[in-house]
Amino acid sequence: MQREKWVVHRWPTWVIIVIALIGLLGVIGVKFDYVLYHDPIVTISQVKNGKPVKQKDEFQNADTITNQQLVGTVRNGDYKGKQVRFENTFSLSGASDQRYHKGDDAFVMIRQKGEKVTIRETKRDVPLAFTAWLTIILLLATMMFSGLMAFTSVAINSILFYWAVRLNGDSNGGKVLLIFGLLTIVFAVVTLWIVMGISHQMLVTLLATLGGTFLSVLVALGVFALTKEKGMYYESMEYVTQLPKPLFLAETILGSLGAVMDESTDIVASLFTLKQEQPELSSKQVYRSGRQIGRTIMGPLINVLFFIFMAETIPMALLYLKNGNTWGYTFSMNMSLGMIQSLISGIGIVLAIPLASWFASFALRRRAQ
Amino acid sequence: MSTITVLGLVLLGLMTWIGGKQGISSFLSLLFNFGVLFFAIVLIAFHFSPIIVALVTGIIVLALTIFMGGGDDLTSQTAFFASVIVLLVLIVMIIPVVNWAQIQGFGQENSEDLEGMSLLIGINLLKIAMVTAIISTLGAIAEAAMAISAGLVEIVTQRPKIEASQLYHDGLVIGRHIIGTTFNTLFFGFFGGFLALFIWFASVGYSFGEILNDKVFVSEILMILFSMIGVIITVPLTALVMKHEVTYRRKHDQPLSDL
Repeated sequence: MQREKWVVHRWPTWVIIVIALIGLLGVIGVKFDYVLYHDPIVTISQVKNGKPVKQKDEFQNADTITNQQLVGTVRNGDYKGKQVRFENTFSLSGASDQRYHKGDDAFVMIRQKGEKVTIRETKRDVPLAFTAWLTIILLLATMMFSGLMAFTSVAINSILFYWAVRLNGDSNGGKVLLIFGLLTIVFAVVTLWIVMGISHQMLVTLLATLGGTFLSVLVALGVFALTKEKGMYYESMEYVTQLPKPLFLAETILGSLGAVMDESTDIVASLFTLKQEQPELSSKQVYRSGRQIGRTIMGPLINVLFFIFMAETIPMALLYLKNGNTWGYTFSMNMSLGMIQSLISGIGIVLAIPLASWFASFALRRRAQ
Repeated sequence: MSTITVLGLVLLGLMTWIGGKQGISSFLSLLFNFGVLFFAIVLIAFHFSPIIVALVTGIIVLALTIFMGGGDDLTSQTAFFASVIVLLVLIVMIIPVVNWAQIQGFGQENSEDLEGMSLLIGINLLKIAMVTAIISTLGAIAEAAMAISAGLVEIVTQRPKIEASQLYHDGLVIGRHIIGTTFNTLFFGFFGGFLALFIWFASVGYSFGEILNDKVFVSEILMILFSMIGVIITVPLTALVMKHEVTYRRKHDQPLSDL
């Protein structure tokens, strides 16, 4: 297992408290950032709920619909300070509506000189900022300097991702696989570079990561060809604005990259430490230890991605079930693509084990000579 | 044969090749986890309380993943206790934040998928959003707890006389490395899963402000953050549980490890 000599940069507690307080001020600032928005925002001051009306749909689902009479004050734009009245309806299930409470901020549409107001959507940037603040503070408090590095890596990768999405838009989605395939390589290089710096170890990890990721896609394409994509319903993909198959592959490559990198980093780092402590180890022994380490991590890692890919499908799967669809159809239409993604990344995670062990044993053999 | 079956068989073959018996057991845990997840959805569809279902599902999934992951007794037991505590802490945090952000149900981006469907299904989808957030963190918590616990057992095995408080400190040091790599797994995992959504934002021309308040976007980012928070708090909690476990076993003259 890992026993690296991390330089422990201990920050005094007050530094973290000061950073936390500054961040908290930022979160409060987000609460009052009305002026930054172009769309009018209303703070709700009065709520009058009507009587819930019972509803039954064709599948015998019992729900209720409630009407709300709302009064609020406009916080920005031309009608700033004006008191407006408007209505809202919400259902018990709340699939595409919601209940408003006193004090909520919401985006509205104002027409006819402020006489006609329709509510559009709730303001969600404050909970987002709050949770991000909580994560960053916990990260800094537990990891100090390394936390800052992890955060930098996420920030740089987000910018790269944004840029790649723009590039994809400019080419109308025709080169999605090429763009995100290249992005995968750039992501791997940047992330490993930030974590380890440019070194022998980093190169070995990089090779294993990219090898595992791309080999798994090749295996998947082979299986797709063999089974003629039986049971794959690209039409069930959400938010699709371009050709679904390359998009699906790009999603899968990107999704498995992190886990494969995680696995390769662990194996290679452990093997480099091992060789340092016991220089007499032969490359065969190094390879074998690598596989030993890999087999204990692969199961949990595959599960990490499995739950990320599958949890997201729960709401839609429920909706399908409640709309009188069979379990089989619900699975095919909602969960099968997530399942295929989990399996492909699982294959990548497992393939990275022999690759990382082999590359490491090779690199360490040359070093011993 | 369908694509899923063949891919599953390929994965089973590879896991057996690399991991032998343990590989098969890891593969089975994946299969069981899927079964538990599907069963949970069915229970919710039958109007069982979603949060209770999520809690029970969570504990079962953590037990399956950790005890079938093939660590020794001390590793698995510590990892399981620690991860259950993390799960409880996360549930307490997720419920108010999801309620605050109102990320239930579906966004305007889903309207095409929703065509022709009855949306009045009589199940509170706000609670379902909480369930989704809770379940998406399970894999990451289990993995982090196991990695830290295994690292600490390794240290105990090599230095059986180590002070319990030193062990806690070592746990934090190991944890730093694990937080770093797990962040990458989560970050790329989520971004891969929602590449299509981001392409949608770009092609429809959402403004920055619209994206920051978009239901689907916010729920996605919150899920990454919940998982990250889960992994971060797993580190000190696992180290703490291990410290207690080792102190307890020493006091009662029980063996530390059955290796």
